[in-house]
Amino acid sequence: MIAEFLQWLQGTPLAVSIAEEWFPLVESLHVVTMAIVAGSIFIVDTRLIGVTSKKLGFSYVSDRLLPWTWGAFACSVVTGTLMFSSNATGYYDNAAFRVKMLLLLLAGLNMLYFQKVTFRGVSAWDLGRPPVAARVAGTVSIGLWCGVIGFGRWIGFTQS
Amino acid sequence: MSARALSNWLSSTALSQLVQTTHGAIAGIQMVHIVCLATLVALALSVSLRVAGRGLVAETLSSLAGRFIPAMWICLGLLLLTGALLIVAEPHRTITNPAFYTKMALLAIAIALTAWIASIARSRPEKRTKLRTAVAALYVLIWLCIIVAGRYIAYRI
Repeated sequence: MIAEFLQWLQGTPLAVSIAEEWFPLVESLHVVTMAIVAGSIFIVDTRLIGVTSKKLGFSYVSDRLLPWTWGAFACSVVTGTLMFSSNATGYYDNAAFRVKMLLLLLAGLNMLYFQKVTFRGVSAWDLGRPPVAARVAGTVSIGLWCGVIGFGRWIGFTQS
Repeated sequence: MSARALSNWLSSTALSQLVQTTHGAIAGIQMVHIVCLATLVALALSVSLRVAGRGLVAETLSSLAGRFIPAMWICLGLLLLTGALLIVAEPHRTITNPAFYTKMALLAIAIALTAWIASIARSRPEKRTKLRTAVAALYVLIWLCIIVAGRYIAYRI
């Protein structure tokens, strides 16, 4: 079922044109958008850890930067899906690709837990030193996004 | 010495051989290179937004630039170090490649504009003009083009 879908996907005219002609441009745009996603997250996370932007409230920094993160992430999902479609069976079998997807999922879960639990009490620490749970969430997030970049690059070394 | 001869000499050096034969070294160096570039782009975007009177406006431009621009110089130093290691490890991929020289030319412009933004942040930080906003937008665009040119090194345009 999955194999049939992947075969169909990479046989679509759009996927074929990306594989034959547009892959370098789509990949470049993917790297650009991922750089904005990861870089803006690093700025927010280092504030969350309490090492940068200490004069600014955490919620202020995140409110100002995360719209850029989400915008770039949406573009990244589009370009990533287009890249995947160009060689769906190959990416599906690629271990580095699977690890990257797993790390993305963990980064999402980490953010979701932070938003639903730790962020609820933000008014108590918004301008001060964040609690341990917030600092752990920020550190884990930076680690996961470095992993996403690392394994994303590793796909290029292992993909035929 | 021709570019080809320089490339052959570099790839025969002990450092090049070490990086080439160490499993995962090139991927690891590239990862640090990309993380530094991502951080630089986000910092450049934040500073440029502030120059244009947007983004983290609760902090003055001189204060924001005072924090972010030194971090950008550190990222830039790491970027140059890892980039130099990648050139030494795989000179045939870069030294004869037009995309590499495009990236280097754009990088030179980006460095000059970083110095310019640092100087306006010190002198007249809150003066907002259309020219400054346009240059700030151009600055972000150049960093994005550096990423694109870097990726195109692998495709040899």
